[in-house]
Amino acid sequence: MKIAVLVKQVPDTETKIRIKGDSSGIETDGIKFVVNPYDEYAIEEAIKTKEKNGGGEVIVVSMGPARTVESIRTALAMGADRGIHIDDAGLQADSHVTAKILAAALQKEGGVEVIFCGKQAIDGDCSQVVQGVAELLGISQVMIAVKFDLREDKKGALIQRRIGGGSQEVYDVSFPVIVGAEKGLNTPRFASLPGIMKAKTKPLAVLKAAELLGESKPRVSFVNYRLPPERKAGKILQGQEPAQMAAELVKLLREEAKVI
Amino acid sequence: MEYLVNRRDIDFILKEQIHYEKLFELPEFKEFTTEMFDMVLDQSFKFAQQEIAPLNASGDKEGCLFDGKTVKAPKGYKEAYQHFAENGFIGMDVPATYGGQGLPLTVAMPASEFFSGASVSFMMYPGLTRGAAHLIETCGSEALKNIYVQKMYSGVWAGTMCLTEPQAGSAVGDLKTTAVPQPDGSYKIKGGKMFISSGDHDLTENIIHLVLARIQGDPENSTKGISLFVVPKLKVKKDGSVGESNDVKTVNIEHKMGIKGQATCTLSFGDNDQCVGHLVGEPRSGMKQMFQMMNEARLLCGMQGLSISGTAFEHALQYAKERVQGQGKTIVAFPDVRRMLMLQKAYVEGIRSLLYHTGYYIDMGKGHPNPETKAYYQGFADLLTPMCKAYGSDMGFKVTELAMQTYGGYGYISEYPIEQYMRDVKISSIYEGTNGIQALDLLGRKLPQNGGQVVQQFYAMLDEFVTKNQNEPALKVELGEFKKALDLIAQVAMSFMEMTGKGDFNYPMLSATPFLNMFSNVVVAYYLLDQAVIAHVKLAKLLEEKVDDPSQHKGFIKGNDEAAYLDGKIKTARFFVHQVLPTVRATVKSINSGDRSALEIIL
Repeated sequence: MKIAVLVKQVPDTETKIRIKGDSSGIETDGIKFVVNPYDEYAIEEAIKTKEKNGGGEVIVVSMGPARTVESIRTALAMGADRGIHIDDAGLQADSHVTAKILAAALQKEGGVEVIFCGKQAIDGDCSQVVQGVAELLGISQVMIAVKFDLREDKKGALIQRRIGGGSQEVYDVSFPVIVGAEKGLNTPRFASLPGIMKAKTKPLAVLKAAELLGESKPRVSFVNYRLPPERKAGKILQGQEPAQMAAELVKLLREEAKVI
Repeated sequence: MEYLVNRRDIDFILKEQIHYEKLFELPEFKEFTTEMFDMVLDQSFKFAQQEIAPLNASGDKEGCLFDGKTVKAPKGYKEAYQHFAENGFIGMDVPATYGGQGLPLTVAMPASEFFSGASVSFMMYPGLTRGAAHLIETCGSEALKNIYVQKMYSGVWAGTMCLTEPQAGSAVGDLKTTAVPQPDGSYKIKGGKMFISSGDHDLTENIIHLVLARIQGDPENSTKGISLFVVPKLKVKKDGSVGESNDVKTVNIEHKMGIKGQATCTLSFGDNDQCVGHLVGEPRSGMKQMFQMMNEARLLCGMQGLSISGTAFEHALQYAKERVQGQGKTIVAFPDVRRMLMLQKAYVEGIRSLLYHTGYYIDMGKGHPNPETKAYYQGFADLLTPMCKAYGSDMGFKVTELAMQTYGGYGYISEYPIEQYMRDVKISSIYEGTNGIQALDLLGRKLPQNGGQVVQQFYAMLDEFVTKNQNEPALKVELGEFKKALDLIAQVAMSFMEMTGKGDFNYPMLSATPFLNMFSNVVVAYYLLDQAVIAHVKLAKLLEEKVDDPSQHKGFIKGNDEAAYLDGKIKTARFFVHQVLPTVRATVKSINSGDRSALEIIL
């Protein structure tokens, strides 16, 4: 069974984001980059699926600059078998173009039965790539998956997804399928020290994004970046009778915040 | 409670001060890459935060449970221990032969900081296992190695070291545990041991004790007659499986001020004359062998001081930036709070650099192909170990106290983490050779090492640092002050040698602890100044690249984390040199006074 995981390298969640002087993007100097947290669930599920299947191959696919290799190595250290780095130097990719490139890489690889990916990347938070890849490859997709059970015939899976209002849906899907992993799908393992030692010698191929993309052009242009406005300090009501303060609160909610 | 640590500072020491890629020159580390080292650090940090830190406060509240027969470690410890082992952390810095990971100590030190900082009570279980397994690996016969070592590194069995007896604490030579030779080559062990860390627990299927005992007929009341034995809690069959009890009984567990999640046991060996032990190496070489584990453990005591005070400081800093008092200001704005935070920062960052460097010296001392270089670095490691242990743990305690003071009343209550840190870290100045013993070790063994050559070489390195950088205007005054303090150390060391030459041992012994402290202050000042020199160059470059107008420098530094960090390094070194280093002069004055009141008073 060939299993692919699509991984994105993103700034660490604790990074303080700074915007470049000319507003053309974020300052990447001194930023610590990590595997997108949702992709960690995808990696774990891919490895688990291979284990349950009693064999197979887990291929990590990631697009990004040279440093992306670190994230691929982390996935290899967790237990994936080989990596494909898609070098995107010189490309300002939007979700559409990213999906095109990833789909092309998967097509080139051929024979992939299950594709795992985080439901979204925490940097752009677009949540569009999984659906894009599914559409371009013409395969089934299940987004926001919280449970993945390999079917007994190993040619499909029962996949549970979270929908609004605390409800869940269960899909019985035959492969090929692409799954958008949600928090709770599993507990990702650590990259063990023996895993880290082994990862160094696992195969890692490099592809060029531009070649995979062909003639397509991005549909989104990035005009400028701005930080969200800072949250204003809160107001604390104190020193009055509770009833008075409640009345004051209602007044403020109505007149100042205009929410009731 | 959340585990906090300054990752930037750790990266700075490893990458910009030590330059850990220099380790690739050693044959045993040439297969590694910086990418691998970084991945190891990231995973260790993540493991510490996610799996160990949640057990710290709960382990403290719950403690260990002794039902009269066996000991239960706090909830969650067993699972975490197994995960810790599965991830390869137990033997991370030992050779791959029996399942170690072969990483340099330079990389294992920060990992150790994460683990101990997240929960020192927990970390002592795998820590002792590693020490005991590595001792068997280094000194034991092939047969012993094959039976025990791999199972210990892989987490199946745990380990301990058993020295202390009720009447033999600092004076190990007084121990009474005996070993009687048996026809099959094994020994029957009989005696009682106390204060045994990780002495009994339910984390693993067996516990392998390393026991110091005296073979029948060997010299009494002296460390020369002591041998080392492997004594499993449960007997190990020929096929490596675990069998019946080996007549090792847990008598009691201690109820302690801190490290409550750690099972500190009184053990009785051979109550029914059925306790079998296996000699490690040659008879009567137990002390020498135990010192391998002891020296590692001393470094780890310093690490406990660093790791706990490191996280205590980060908590205090965070608190000071959030706590509003008086005129709507956060307390970080008040000068006295800033003074306390700066002391914490300077001690933590200085001791961190001292410990990591010592780890690096040990790596070089073990693995450098050139015998001269090898001896040079090993000498530094030996010289600095008592300072790491004593100064690291004493100042570690002091920092937690300052952290508590920063919190005010909230620091004193158990809703906040500081009071536990303060209780947990206190033990580090006591066990593995009290800090008083460390001071005697420095004075009596380390200074005269190789006829004083080691300390002279160390002095030369520090002196050369001053010569090389003294024309740097930004740190000129500080380097001058440092040089004066450095020379005072040399003077005092000489005067001690004169005294002992004349047969006066008591006065140097009376001054040993103050001497260790003043020497350590100078050493820490050196590492902080070295950091300041590096930071100064980097900051100047950063400002040149990013800011055109020099009048904007201050504003830029305030708004840029990296610039603020580098600027902080310079200010921390200056603060330490002006606020702490002058105590060296005071100590010298008191040593030179020749005041023998403490020796002569009737107490």
